[in-house]
Amino acid sequence: MAAAPFDHARCSGCSLCRLVCPMWRQHRDPRFSPEGLARARQCDATAAELTAPLEACSLCGACDPVCPEGIDLSGMVMELRRDLSPALPYRQALDALQAKFALAAAAAEAPAAGALFLPGPALRAHPSLLARVKTLLGYACATDDGADIALALETGGEISPARRRRFLDGLDGRTLAVGDGLLLRQLRQWLPGARLQSLGAALASLMPIRRRIASTDFYVIEPRAYHADYERLVAYYDRLRAETGCALNLDLQRIAMPALTQALPHLAGPLVDADVAQARWMLQGRTPQRIVVESLADRAAFERVCDIPVLHLAELAQD
Amino acid sequence: MNIPPVEPGTVGPCPVAPDALQGIKRQQTNPARWNGAGWQAFVADLRTAGVELAESRAACGAYATDAGGTAYGQPHGVAIARSAGEVAALLRTAQAHRVPVTVRGGGLTTEGESVAYGGVLLDMTGMSRVLAIDATALTVRVEAGIYWHSLAEELRREKLDYLSAPLNLTSSVGGTLGVGGIDVNSARLGCSADQALSLQVVTPTGEIVECSDTENVELFQRVILGYGQFGVITEATLRVRPYTPLSMHYYYYSSLRTAIEDLQMLDRNDASDYSGILTIMDCAVNLLVAFDSDEREAAFRRDWEARLRGHGEFGFALCMLGHYALRPWKAGEALYLLKRKQAVFPEFRRPEYMRDNKMHDRSVVFSRAVWKHWGSRNMVIPDLATPADKFVAAVERGNAVCRKFFAHYTLYCVGIKLRPEHRPHYEMSCVPPDAEGWAYGCEFEPMIEGEVYSRDHFQAFKNAIYDIGVDLGASYYRFGGMMKGYIRRTFGDELVDKHLAMKRRADPAMILNRDVIF
Ligand SMILES: Cc1cc2nc3c(=O)[nH]c(=O)nc-3n(C[C@H](O)[C@H](O)[C@H](O)COP(=O)(O)OP(=O)(O)OC[C@H]3O[C@@H](n4cnc5c(N)ncnc54)[C@H](O)[C@@H]3O)c2cc1C
Ligand code: SF4
Ligand code: SF4
Repeated sequence: MAAAPFDHARCSGCSLCRLVCPMWRQHRDPRFSPEGLARARQCDATAAELTAPLEACSLCGACDPVCPEGIDLSGMVMELRRDLSPALPYRQALDALQAKFALAAAAAEAPAAGALFLPGPALRAHPSLLARVKTLLGYACATDDGADIALALETGGEISPARRRRFLDGLDGRTLAVGDGLLLRQLRQWLPGARLQSLGAALASLMPIRRRIASTDFYVIEPRAYHADYERLVAYYDRLRAETGCALNLDLQRIAMPALTQALPHLAGPLVDADVAQARWMLQGRTPQRIVVESLADRAAFERVCDIPVLHLAELAQD
Repeated sequence: MNIPPVEPGTVGPCPVAPDALQGIKRQQTNPARWNGAGWQAFVADLRTAGVELAESRAACGAYATDAGGTAYGQPHGVAIARSAGEVAALLRTAQAHRVPVTVRGGGLTTEGESVAYGGVLLDMTGMSRVLAIDATALTVRVEAGIYWHSLAEELRREKLDYLSAPLNLTSSVGGTLGVGGIDVNSARLGCSADQALSLQVVTPTGEIVECSDTENVELFQRVILGYGQFGVITEATLRVRPYTPLSMHYYYYSSLRTAIEDLQMLDRNDASDYSGILTIMDCAVNLLVAFDSDEREAAFRRDWEARLRGHGEFGFALCMLGHYALRPWKAGEALYLLKRKQAVFPEFRRPEYMRDNKMHDRSVVFSRAVWKHWGSRNMVIPDLATPADKFVAAVERGNAVCRKFFAHYTLYCVGIKLRPEHRPHYEMSCVPPDAEGWAYGCEFEPMIEGEVYSRDHFQAFKNAIYDIGVDLGASYYRFGGMMKGYIRRTFGDELVDKHLAMKRRADPAMILNRDVIF
């Protein structure tokens, strides 16, 4: 079992986390960085005092694997968001969305036996792509994919113990492909016996897809799932790069640059300028013929900044 | 020397005296906090000038210490640098109100040089963009708060790299140009400060000035390696080079002297592109040698490798086995070596950084290892910088001090190629005045390993190392902050008084980076 992560008290101020933090890149203000948050916590700053950076963090998780002190930085943000959450002016809207997802989950049937696919709301909003992914994976698709729980994790909302038990019931010990990177991160703690796969890695391992990744592609890894299982996936994607010759959205530290810097208040909203700037920066100095994304959310950002084809990974497989 | 007591928070008659940090002689003490006189009026004027200042507990508390983690102080307010114009307005206002301004880049000093003991903390990382890359002229113009790593990230998109930078990713260009910047290629390419072609500087009185070896020469000479005393660097033009991955070789020694002699032999003969020594105490001394091209590597193998007296990994392991088999009472040391090797070595061979046996992104590999295996909340890294001929003595004597003070430690030695035309830059800097051709530096870094040591233990250790420097007539990579009591002993009254007079002229209220050198 992995050693328990450490808390903000261990922060030595090395700033390595700043180098990979899209929120810092956007603001260039140390308060808007994991280091700034950890340092502020060392001075007993409250969640309310840290509202602006807590809202701005995209929970990409890039800071976690680079922290030499092993601090669970995105976990710290999530915990502080729980303290902050009740006071958020848009809490009602988030609660309404969570309730909508919870209602759908309540009507869900018990999950089928065997390997299971938890797509998440983004993919569910694209039924034809969802159907293609299901066929490719060959896993049963869970009707309760924990979308309300994923949203609560992200926004600091409440997850009742009963709801959590019902969602997790019968999932441990199984193979699960999870579309939501944040949920995947949490499931790694909640389901120690499950074989968890990110949707991206699960699809990229399939030969009909892998064969079609080209050396002229810019392949965009979904950051949350990647950083949550960094030690394993850094090797996995290095093999993918070596085999296919594609370029990856990894920086020099082999951290996945997120295309989206989407902050909490804009969670369900349209793209903001910062996202467009981030996607532009990712493409700077590159001339790919095609962009392949693991996450649908990233597709929109790239479509805004370039006119080359942007495909979801599942779309690479021939019909 | 008898120094009269000084009103807390004011500048004394001799801010460079051996006991200039007011406190108990040769024990660590933070400088007295500036007393805040006139702060509110200053803040009001600053706001009128359009400079944003954060005064909250969280904003100021984030800067309570530097990478050393032994000096503590809090600013009254924090300004994030956004433009040279804003920095100029800040300094003009601070000069008028006599408010101290401490500049901070990466904050990777270890002697409190980037800690503000009251007044304003000016965080330069707000100015951290690449402004222009000229791939033909091989130059880059950057804002000075940029981290070397962020610069590398952008240069790589153009298949370029910086020349040399500290092995820690998060030091800033401006902070490094002020103190030196030593890399494992410095024996060939010089220190980072040697790579600067021109700078935009905001003087302590708030003028924005471009300077170089041909324009405002005197300012350029004082700002380079000047510990931030003569101006805030806001932009820099640096030389860059094509990016190459490198092939790395390691040779292991059990004698510091032999390894240093071999290192200097390689440097003198330009036999490698990268060279340096990294040790586990004085038991396992690792000479690393690396190359940018296959041709250089082949020439090394042909002409120089056989002359090295170090062993390969396997041969050295056998030597160690024999050594410790005959000294069973040193089993603890042997076990430590083994554990350290198992923890550290894989870090330098992580497969995602190796392609076709070449190391990619060496600065990332080294820095990650440095932070993971040497970094901690307390970092005490005294050093000695000497001419080539005094270096063995300096390291051997420093090593004896380390043995006395700590159970485990690391030594890191590299050469710096000196540029004769840059001699004026080197005055009163980390480059020893009598060094010709190369200067050599050794950092003595104890492994804290969760132990708790008193600040006075650390200070006594640093004093013992720095006393060697005084004795040998050496200099130091770091001589500011808590070690500034050594400045007169090291550089002599005449030179120090000359620089102090220049500082007083440039900074009449002595506000910029007070307590660092002057
Ligand atoms: C783990 C670790 C490893 C290190 N490895 C190396 C190494 O390999 N090689 C090496 O050379 N050094 C090394 N150092 C030392 C450190 O890298 C240098 O002190 C560093 O280059 C300073 O850069 P910085 O941006 O952190 O400067 P800071 O610490 O922020 O500042 C340094 C000094 O410059 C002043 N200053 C900062 N920015 C400006 C500016 N823009 N204009 C004017 N003055 C300014 C500050 O007031 C301060 O006095 C290491 C330190 C640590 C903690
Ligand atoms: S999770 Fe991402 S955005 Fe949030 S602090 Fe970490 S690196 Fe920054
Ligand atoms: S990487 Fe970790 S230790 Fe370093 S500054 Fe960030 S939080 Fe602190």
